[in-house]
Amino acid sequence: MRRRTLTRRWSFWCLVLLAALALFGGRLFSAPPDAEVAAPFSKPFWLDRSLPPTVTADLTPDAPSAEIPWSWGAPSRFFVAADMVADAPGRTILWTKPGGRTVEIAPLKKGVERDGRDMAFKRALGLPPFADGAASLLDERGTYRLSVDGQGPWEGTVRLRLDGGRWGLFGTDQRGRDIAALFVAGIRVSLLVGIMATLIATALGTTVGLAAGYLGGWFDSAAMRLVDLLLSIPMLPILMALAAIWGKGLWQLVLILSIFSWMGTARTVRAMTLSLRDTAYIEDLRGIGAPTAYILRRHLLPETLPLLLATMTLGVPGAILSEAGLSFLGLSDPRVISWGRMLHEAQTFGTFTAGAWWMLLPPGLGIAVLCLAFLDMGKYLEERTDPRLRGGALS
Amino acid sequence: MIAVRNLSVTYRSSEREKRAVLGVDLAVERGRMVALAGESGSGKSTVLMAIPGLLPATAATSGEILLDGRDLLTCSEAELNAVRWRRIALVPQGAMNSFTPVLTVGRHVEEELEVHLGLSKREARERIPALFALAGLDGGLAARYPHELSGGQKQRSAIALALACNPEYLLCDEPTTALDVVTQRDIVVTLRRLVDEQGVGMLLVSHDLPLAASVADRLCIMKDGRLVEEGEPRTIVDHPANPHTRALVGALRELEEAP
Amino acid sequence: MTTILQVRDLTVTFPGRRGGTPVTALQSLSLSLEAGESLSVIGESGSGKTTLLRSILGHVPPTGGAVRLFGADLASASKGELTALRRRCAAISQDPYGSLPPTLTVLESVMEPWLLVHGEEERAEGEERALGLLAELGMADGDLLRSKVRFSLSGGQRQRAAIARALVLEPELLLCDEPTSMQDASTRGDILRILQKRQGRGMSMLFVTHDLFLARRAAPRGIVLHRGRIVEESATAELLASPKDAYTKALVAALPRLGRA
Repeated sequence: MRRRTLTRRWSFWCLVLLAALALFGGRLFSAPPDAEVAAPFSKPFWLDRSLPPTVTADLTPDAPSAEIPWSWGAPSRFFVAADMVADAPGRTILWTKPGGRTVEIAPLKKGVERDGRDMAFKRALGLPPFADGAASLLDERGTYRLSVDGQGPWEGTVRLRLDGGRWGLFGTDQRGRDIAALFVAGIRVSLLVGIMATLIATALGTTVGLAAGYLGGWFDSAAMRLVDLLLSIPMLPILMALAAIWGKGLWQLVLILSIFSWMGTARTVRAMTLSLRDTAYIEDLRGIGAPTAYILRRHLLPETLPLLLATMTLGVPGAILSEAGLSFLGLSDPRVISWGRMLHEAQTFGTFTAGAWWMLLPPGLGIAVLCLAFLDMGKYLEERTDPRLRGGALS
Repeated sequence: MIAVRNLSVTYRSSEREKRAVLGVDLAVERGRMVALAGESGSGKSTVLMAIPGLLPATAATSGEILLDGRDLLTCSEAELNAVRWRRIALVPQGAMNSFTPVLTVGRHVEEELEVHLGLSKREARERIPALFALAGLDGGLAARYPHELSGGQKQRSAIALALACNPEYLLCDEPTTALDVVTQRDIVVTLRRLVDEQGVGMLLVSHDLPLAASVADRLCIMKDGRLVEEGEPRTIVDHPANPHTRALVGALRELEEAP
Repeated sequence: MTTILQVRDLTVTFPGRRGGTPVTALQSLSLSLEAGESLSVIGESGSGKTTLLRSILGHVPPTGGAVRLFGADLASASKGELTALRRRCAAISQDPYGSLPPTLTVLESVMEPWLLVHGEEERAEGEERALGLLAELGMADGDLLRSKVRFSLSGGQRQRAAIARALVLEPELLLCDEPTSMQDASTRGDILRILQKRQGRGMSMLFVTHDLFLARRAAPRGIVLHRGRIVEESATAELLASPKDAYTKALVAALPRLGRA
């Protein structure tokens, strides 16, 4: 029989990849995930090749000009901004068209901005008020050039952005943020919430289960009635109410989720403890005066551990889904990027009216894949710890 | 006749290979009882389970298992299914604890009759009292649920279940383990009667040498996967030839005849 | 001679499940055991043998009668006294799967009672004793002793490790319930010899078995337990040779034996 090693499981590699993205994925993007990088609802770059892409260029004293090859129609926006330490008298920002004609965009001053949609800019370019500045600036195909012209020292960056309607792997959302960057940032939250909430819930459930099963008596009855009570409460409304009372922070969310997911573990651990409590060797140990804490720590906990490992990995998807659900309902911190939040925003800001399905799919599939990977991992651990699921020899 | 020829079984797992049975020869004829005795881990259960082809997938088998000349090892699963229950029936180890708790023991037997022999519900029910009587049970117990029966009664129900399709051969794996001494004796007497009166050919696997020797026509002793001694039970018990058998018989004698 | 164990008119009744009729596990049972003496208890499952052993260690409260262990009445002993009394006894359970902690290594599980009683400072001595006992019981393979009980031991090996665990504190009274049920005929004799060697040094033993031959080998005196009562009490050889009670007779008749031609 083939040995079922960890490295043969797709879920293992999937989780390794996601964890690596969560840790180092931010470095793949030059801008922070909440920065506006392109026009809202830009399509993924591979989707519609006829649309102009989003182009950016930075000018510095070391590289005072940039060439922009252009072979599409006009972009939706032409935008130039100067991020300067001080004004640079004698210097101007120049736009050179493929034919050689130059247009003066603006004098190089601190904080100067030019947007092809601005009335004043259009007037300066000699355009009527309802004309499209961007279309007039990019009216032919060929190589354009943006440069800083004139004499005198200057220090800072001049930034050009042409919003073409295409951006990145997954496009942009309603605020022009890069969905790929948001997606990567969301992994971190989903993993953090899923794992932390499950760890806390498991610790809580194990403690209650061990104590209830071993000590019995009134504590057992009280703990089990509490479990029944918590299980009988519909979870979502309570989570919503608690989120409203305690606030929408990430840690509040973790706490809320763990409080409502320890009951299953407690029941399982209690059942196991009950059956182990009266085994001959435990009774003997009690008889010769072994402290209760010793028996719990040395024997009952290790015996339940393999089971806990499996329930833990199986519990993570639940927490991830709950987090996503709450965030989807808008009950999460709007400053924290998570997959649930992305879905919420997709829903609220008109994915459907804008037809921006690329806002919906990455977080949705991400949640599904992450949950499936954890489920598969749990199945693997279950197989490893339960000898009945392995093949074996007859006695 | 079931003839096992040069049977070897190896369990393979990724970590290791375990040779459970090595070149065992054995013959079970109708109307005779062959007992296979040996210590735990000697491979006796593996021999028994190999006959109807019920070893786990990790087991690699070689040799021949001939049922009236036809090699069962080369048969397809469909052909084996035609043989199992109808010609060779099995009372597996721990059979008495393998009943579904929500069905009466009689219902178990009826279901088998319906599935394997295609009988109607009524025909099946009519056969129950006779089958239970063969297994030494009162037919009225058929209406009981497993938990309402004693260990001995459950074991007898398992025998009745195995007898349902009127098999020519019955393979019993440790049928008396975990039963009281008196019940053990009664069960063995019942098995012997099946051989004598119904002409069943029986293979009895047991770790209890005195019990096996007292009831079987032929006795085979296994040790570490090999058949170390085979013959008339009385002869083996009184004049063991193999050193292992001699030690085994010696230890039992010491206990029996001391102080 | 000092009387180590005295059971007088012990009756144990368990309340029936869900208002069912109560079950009487032991009925007016009396027995006594001197230091260095051993007694065979012949009983099958359901005879009340397990309840008897558990009541002797005070794990089951008696419905009637009394148990005196080393001269002290269990009913009036404080929790501390009870622990002290139990530390002088050891029990080997009928189920070898329940008598060893599965998550420890074989060596650790044999040493465990010693460490609990004598403390971590005497670990070296405990390990030496455990290794000695295990070797005496035919388990000297270092790899085996350092692997987990759950993964590495067969039923028979578990049973022998459980015997070592029971003997590691050098009990004055050993209560064993079918301690050789999973052993091969040859090892069975070895184990009895090991137990009897300790009896020579003053250990008393209650040996529960359903096998009359084994009972005779384990102790000169025996009681036959059937449905919670002692139905016959006599020398074990006598029980085998000329049983008086109907149940004992049936037991003797059904006993598998090799016999002589």
